[in-house]
Amino acid sequence: MNSNTFSRRNFFAGALGVGALLATTACGQSGGAAGSSAKITWSTWGTPEEGQRFKKFNAQFKTDHPTITATLQMVPSYSDYHSKLLTQLTSGTAPDVFYVGDDYIGKFVSSGVLMDLTPVVDGADAKVKLADFNPALFGAGKTDKGLFALPNDCNPDVFWFDKKALAAAGITENPADLAAAGIWTIETFLGMCAKLAAKGLHGAMFWNYWSTHWSWVAANGGQVFDAAGKFVLPEDPKSVAAIKSLADGFTSKSFTVADTLPDGSGADSLFVSHKAGFYVQGRYGIATAQQSGSKDDYDIAPWPTVSGKPGSSGVAASYLVINAKTKAADAAKTFVGDFLSAKGQTLRLADGGNAVPSVKGADSVVLDGNYPAHAKSFLDMTSAGFEDFAVEAKVPGLSSDVSTAMLGMYQGKTSPADTITAVSKLMQKAV
Amino acid sequence: MTAVLAKTRTPDAPPVERGEASWRKRDRWWGLVFVSPQLIGMCGFVLLPFAVGLVLAFAQWDGLTQLTWVGFANFQAELADPVFLRSIINTLVLALITVPVGLALSLLIAVALDKLRGRTGYLLLYFAPVMTSSIAISLVWQQILRADGPLNQAFSKVFGIPGPDWLGDPHFVLAAVSIVTIWSSLGLNVIIFLAGLQGINPHVLEAARVDGAGAFRTMMAIRLPLLSPVVFFSTVVAVISSFQTFDVVFVLTKNGGPDNSARTIVYQIYDEGFRHFQFGMASAASIILLVLTLVVTAVQLGLQRRFVHYES
Amino acid sequence: MGRRNRTEGSIKLSGLALHLLLAVGGFLMVAPFLWMMLTSFKSLPQILSNPLGLLPNPWNFSNYADAWNAAPFGLAYWNSIYICVLTVAGTIVTASMAAYAFARIEFKGSKFLFVLFLATQMVPQQVTIVPLYMIFSKLGWVDTHLALIIPAVLCNPFAVFLVRQFIRSLPVELEEAARLDGAGRWRILFSIVMPNIKPGLAALSIVVALGAWNNFFLPLIVLNSENQFTVPLLLSQFTGQYGGINYSVIMAASAISIVPMLIAFLIGNRRILNSMAMSGMGGS
Repeated sequence: MNSNTFSRRNFFAGALGVGALLATTACGQSGGAAGSSAKITWSTWGTPEEGQRFKKFNAQFKTDHPTITATLQMVPSYSDYHSKLLTQLTSGTAPDVFYVGDDYIGKFVSSGVLMDLTPVVDGADAKVKLADFNPALFGAGKTDKGLFALPNDCNPDVFWFDKKALAAAGITENPADLAAAGIWTIETFLGMCAKLAAKGLHGAMFWNYWSTHWSWVAANGGQVFDAAGKFVLPEDPKSVAAIKSLADGFTSKSFTVADTLPDGSGADSLFVSHKAGFYVQGRYGIATAQQSGSKDDYDIAPWPTVSGKPGSSGVAASYLVINAKTKAADAAKTFVGDFLSAKGQTLRLADGGNAVPSVKGADSVVLDGNYPAHAKSFLDMTSAGFEDFAVEAKVPGLSSDVSTAMLGMYQGKTSPADTITAVSKLMQKAV
Repeated sequence: MTAVLAKTRTPDAPPVERGEASWRKRDRWWGLVFVSPQLIGMCGFVLLPFAVGLVLAFAQWDGLTQLTWVGFANFQAELADPVFLRSIINTLVLALITVPVGLALSLLIAVALDKLRGRTGYLLLYFAPVMTSSIAISLVWQQILRADGPLNQAFSKVFGIPGPDWLGDPHFVLAAVSIVTIWSSLGLNVIIFLAGLQGINPHVLEAARVDGAGAFRTMMAIRLPLLSPVVFFSTVVAVISSFQTFDVVFVLTKNGGPDNSARTIVYQIYDEGFRHFQFGMASAASIILLVLTLVVTAVQLGLQRRFVHYES
Repeated sequence: MGRRNRTEGSIKLSGLALHLLLAVGGFLMVAPFLWMMLTSFKSLPQILSNPLGLLPNPWNFSNYADAWNAAPFGLAYWNSIYICVLTVAGTIVTASMAAYAFARIEFKGSKFLFVLFLATQMVPQQVTIVPLYMIFSKLGWVDTHLALIIPAVLCNPFAVFLVRQFIRSLPVELEEAARLDGAGRWRILFSIVMPNIKPGLAALSIVVALGAWNNFFLPLIVLNSENQFTVPLLLSQFTGQYGGINYSVIMAASAISIVPMLIAFLIGNRRILNSMAMSGMGGS
């Protein structure tokens, strides 16, 4: 049994060794002296098509700054990307500049692994100024300690609608026109959904995430969090009523949870084959509409409200940050400035790109091409919109746990009252 | 001691006692040399990282900030979490379905293929799923398992009643995961069993035939006992890998199924670590899984003596 | 010989039933795979309008060109193939050595070590990945294929266990004769034991090759540069977060990704059959 104790001793020695490793690994990966020539790496998620746009940006950046080489690392899937990023951060090998999703950003900001970006947007020669950004989009990236994350671009959740499907259900009004006239009410919208459902079509398809639940509450005049960040939804009668009407919409089959449809014949295919009236998603819906081969059947409207006047709804964003441990801080700042400037965003988002710029001066990428007909709604809804609430973004996984709780209600398995209690508990646990 | 061992083990050992002794002496050394590459790998790439996991199980760590020691709090929290308990039950149920069914099917197929002409063609059919990427598997099976999908179309034709919503109904998601698991791993076990069957010395079988043993008797008395080391191996490995079910659940259900009905322990570990940034909790869950696996494997190793036949 | 013919004749009828049964089972196994192939020949509008349709109408071959052009498959093939070959070759050597030691050599601590090997098989990768990554970054293996090959070759308890089982089913007399001739352990392993477990080693090669070929999680975390990517990483690029998933192109890409494995299997399978015949003759 000698070998037994021997191995056990080795085992602990090994454990100590790795403990030391843990403690000592604390330096950024990529170096290169700033000034003469510098190398930075940056990372994001996305499709090969998006990768092409990023490579185009890299090429332009190389032309503008011959001394800096920026290398892109791309991970296709959003959740895989954050797993990898976290792993890289734990051993100090994360890229110098990286994207962070809006449901994770609060955590990254509060744990102090990010650099303050104030110098990037401050000063006379800054490529992009703090005032250029849409203030609704700072979300959890801006705290009283500093500015740690800036929005790359954003996607307001808009009501894409299919004129052909609406006509098939005997609906003659155009939601975009109603919205322009200030009479796009929830009542009208629910009436349309009921007609669509009666014809065996899907009324409205929503993705199950924070924007869906909280935008609906906002549209009904309710409140989710108060100014101090307290979850006040359960105490607000309007909000409680809104959650109930949302649940009713799903259980009566007027609404569909897009996430629960199988891949390959999901919400996208239903929408392009004219089997759904509304599909709530961002500017990336252009790609969906184009797949149908008859994109002019589709247009966009804002969220309906009680009064029919435009209200405030969710805007999803992703953030760009600098690794606090970067060894090429100057080059990284230059990169961020260029990437977020109106010029940089135009380069990334023009020609049917998948998002809306986060700064002033790049609106043309949304309006050029005149598609969809009411493309201006993207801009209006962005300025009037709200980001994911800081409380939710601060606790990794909270946002998706809330959505999981909501899903039970959407599928008619839990009552609205129980669901609100469950969500309150999740919010309390997080604080 | 060595000499005694040598004597008892090989009664007809050559008279050169000294040569045997020095052989055994050298053997001690050879044993370590032969094991060393794998030993180094095991220490460096599993034990060392796992030691860190062991330490982390007693800490709260989000991967980003300083860790704090919390004693056994992670274990207490995990064991008090109904979702985690659910994942333990799901994991055990999956093992109880997929291991016996999967192994029995592959053994039957391997035995059938063993002496068959045109075996390569069949082997290819049974092996095709193993070669398919998990991305394609998930997309294809999500279609097949739809409430109105081809599986249910066949189901309603055969049984006259509509089939279940495999991926949407919490009562059926585990069944769906089991089907896909068995489907995607069957080919591997067939190959291993087939290799075992073909390694059986044909003279032994010929001898049995000369003695007048029929096909069934040969199977029960000779081929299966000779195959038992390989069957034992496959059982142990199948249990271990079924305790680690993650991929199929991840690609098929995305979130562990409705009401966590398909959440496995490893899914919980992934969820705690990479979605909630709670590596301490993830480590605690993995240690609980390890203990569970160790117990089950120890029982299997104990049963080995009764059911497994080794040569010599 | 005569006896054998008679037995074959008597089981002819049941043989037919067996073929039928195997064919039905085989069809069930291969059906999802076939469906994937059929889908890869459909156009996107056809899939969207009729997701459950069976046959492509018309047959559309452009998905393959689209998939091939959308991602650098050539380079990824090369990366995956050479990683696969090195991993298989290395694993066979190291696993055979360790397995032989566990099966045939008595040395101190051998039982304990074997159980430890088995136990390491039980540690889920999801919990070791973060510390493992730290080790890789210390060794300078991040974004290199070393991180995929070396740990795979040096740590495969499954392979050790499998080969040990095959060795244990060999008669010891086989080695004793060589031992009397003065052969050392090294020679016994490589010239007597390994040739006699060729079917087992061939099966192991297939299992290891498939594991290396389909490995996704580790390459995802470890590899950064596109020119280092393996086939599964490339494949995953076809499923992004936003926008419509181009289902038929993914299927075409999946089909493309399988081709080398399919060829390797067809060749490898013949090898298994050959080595079976050889071991049958040599095993007397």
